[in-house]
Amino acid sequence: MLRSLNQVMDALDIETFFICQSEQEGKNLMLSLLTNMGFKDIDIVFAQYAGPGARIRGRAYVHRPADQYRWLFADTGKEGE
Amino acid sequence: MKCKVMLVPIDPVHDIGLKMIARGLIEKGHEIIMLPPDLAMEEIVEQVLRTKNVDTLLMSRTLGYGVGELLARFIDLVDSTGIREKVKIGIGGMAIRPELAAELGFDAGFGPGTTVEETICFVEGREYTPDTLRTQKVKQDMTAGYDYAYHSTLIGDELHSITDMILDWVDDKTSPGVERAKVRDELWDIERWRSRQGNPEFDKVYPGLCGEIPRRYYQTGELHPKTRRFTVDEVQAFERYQKETKSRMSVMKLQHTRKKPMIFNQYGTGCPFMDIGHVIASEAWGADGVVHFDPSWGARTEGFLDGFLTHQEDGTVITPANLNRIHGGLEKSTLWQVRAHRGLNTPETVVLAGKIGADLTKINICYGALGAGTDPERMTVDGYHSILYAAKYNMPFDVVTNEELCGVPSYKAFAGMLIVADLARRLGARPILQPLFAYSPEVMIHGYMEDNYIDFNAAKVFALRSIINAPIWPGAPIGFLTHTEDRVQSAMTTALHTCLGSSLGVDAVSIASTDEAYSGGPITIPAKIDTLRAVAESLRFMGQAHIRETEQAQVYADRMVEGISHVLSDIIHCGDFVTAIHAGLLGSREEGAYPGRTGKGTVTIKKGVYEYDRSLCGREACQ
Repeated sequence: MLRSLNQVMDALDIETFFICQSEQEGKNLMLSLLTNMGFKDIDIVFAQYAGPGARIRGRAYVHRPADQYRWLFADTGKEGE
Repeated sequence: MKCKVMLVPIDPVHDIGLKMIARGLIEKGHEIIMLPPDLAMEEIVEQVLRTKNVDTLLMSRTLGYGVGELLARFIDLVDSTGIREKVKIGIGGMAIRPELAAELGFDAGFGPGTTVEETICFVEGREYTPDTLRTQKVKQDMTAGYDYAYHSTLIGDELHSITDMILDWVDDKTSPGVERAKVRDELWDIERWRSRQGNPEFDKVYPGLCGEIPRRYYQTGELHPKTRRFTVDEVQAFERYQKETKSRMSVMKLQHTRKKPMIFNQYGTGCPFMDIGHVIASEAWGADGVVHFDPSWGARTEGFLDGFLTHQEDGTVITPANLNRIHGGLEKSTLWQVRAHRGLNTPETVVLAGKIGADLTKINICYGALGAGTDPERMTVDGYHSILYAAKYNMPFDVVTNEELCGVPSYKAFAGMLIVADLARRLGARPILQPLFAYSPEVMIHGYMEDNYIDFNAAKVFALRSIINAPIWPGAPIGFLTHTEDRVQSAMTTALHTCLGSSLGVDAVSIASTDEAYSGGPITIPAKIDTLRAVAESLRFMGQAHIRETEQAQVYADRMVEGISHVLSDIIHCGDFVTAIHAGLLGSREEGAYPGRTGKGTVTIKKGVYEYDRSLCGREACQ
């Protein structure tokens, strides 16, 4: 899991459909999911609630510009910061 | 060598792929035996045994349910009957992955996207080499074939008069931006810089022509906040990454059966490494060109920093080292545009881009002086010199009409674009017209797109083509203000606008990523690829076909042409181009276009080459 994340160029988007009663509840569910997965730099890119629930696109930035990218150091044994 | 090939569709109905392969094999002179679909595994084995001298068995499976168990049983059967020793067996289809086939013991597995040629190679025992001609791309010059002749004599004459007016006005004027560009042009030798020999004459003069931030950098090494140098480890690691990636790089072609439009997307994550990562992926997924986007503070700072720098926020800092690295990372077929259209470094950006090897730049005096905030006097004198450098370095440039996004009507924005284009022609440059395909404020207020997004955008192309024979590159990005944060909607609207561009025969389009409308963080590479995939499908869908606009499009186009002519006439009547900008003739305050203030008071009367007015040096721009 962690090694895979090292190879993510910038961010991980997760899209799903939550059974919920409002857009806000759907957003909270996505943020909670991403937090539980161990991500810290997270946000909601898109949310749309209708009828039975919400379609949500959540995002976890793994490498932001100007970070030290772990994918650069994959074969060197150096992990970067 | 002629082979006997037995083709076996395992599904009840899905045998299209095998039929295509059968045709390919017959054309190559091979003998084929096509079995009916939906046979039991035992029946297939029986057919192989009954038919003499089968060389190859090609099977296909589309349905995924139970495929692993089914094929494993088949392999057991052919093993027990001795078929495996005599017959080469391949399996393909939507349900097949090469790894699965290998695991089960097939001689080859062909997944989705397999070509007929690939399976023929397997049958003939040849190594498959992808058809490189299909993916071999060559840089295109989108200005080729255009003579810039005016179809509207009236508008052509009006534009010529305004060009005379501008030429008279700029003749004796200069600015710190023009002086820096001159120094960069004459004293900065790129080969000496690349070989680390330095340019002492340049180094002596340049810092004195810069504002406070770059000057502090040259005097003390202090960087702009949120900017840092790469470490040696990072640079070495990046060079390894680049070399390794280049060795397995291939590029897609998006246009299907048409030659255009070329597809551009913009990068500017803040970090040259991330930019190159984005660019390489964009090229792989078919982008024909990429546009360098710099941070907004760079436009309000007199002079450039130097060094190999990364920056945390939107836009990648223009330095010789950053541009040089990015240029070095591009595929040979990729067109590279470095935007210079606004701000206090416009002429120097053109010089730097030209020396480093950019194919295109971007210059617009009117939009640069209105929506983007540079003082009209400064933008006019800097724009004039930028165009001269664009001609010198043989870089066509687009003239964008982004003032529409402030609320300026398109006919006024177009008048400004055509003024710059005419000036460029007089100066020997090659301008490209960049109308927006956008759901602009003007459109929202007047309801021009209440029924569809086609007519008003098509009208822009019709209007421009009725005036001048010039290349057209809608942007930027197409479908601007129709995008939402919804990934599917965003990719879809870009794809549909691409269809329109294709139908209208425009030369290029600039596209967004599917997170274009998201403001919470940087654009990501999967989001860029989303749109490139959507664009590829849209161009496949369109082929040589056309979208038909309604009659309203021509009504809009006629109205635009009339409006453009009125604006030009008003500027001629005004008698002074810069005054006309201040007076709102190319977009008024009420329309949301405020003349810029950055660089106000920095235009001075020329003193001659290298007789710098020291009072200009170090003066910070008006914010």
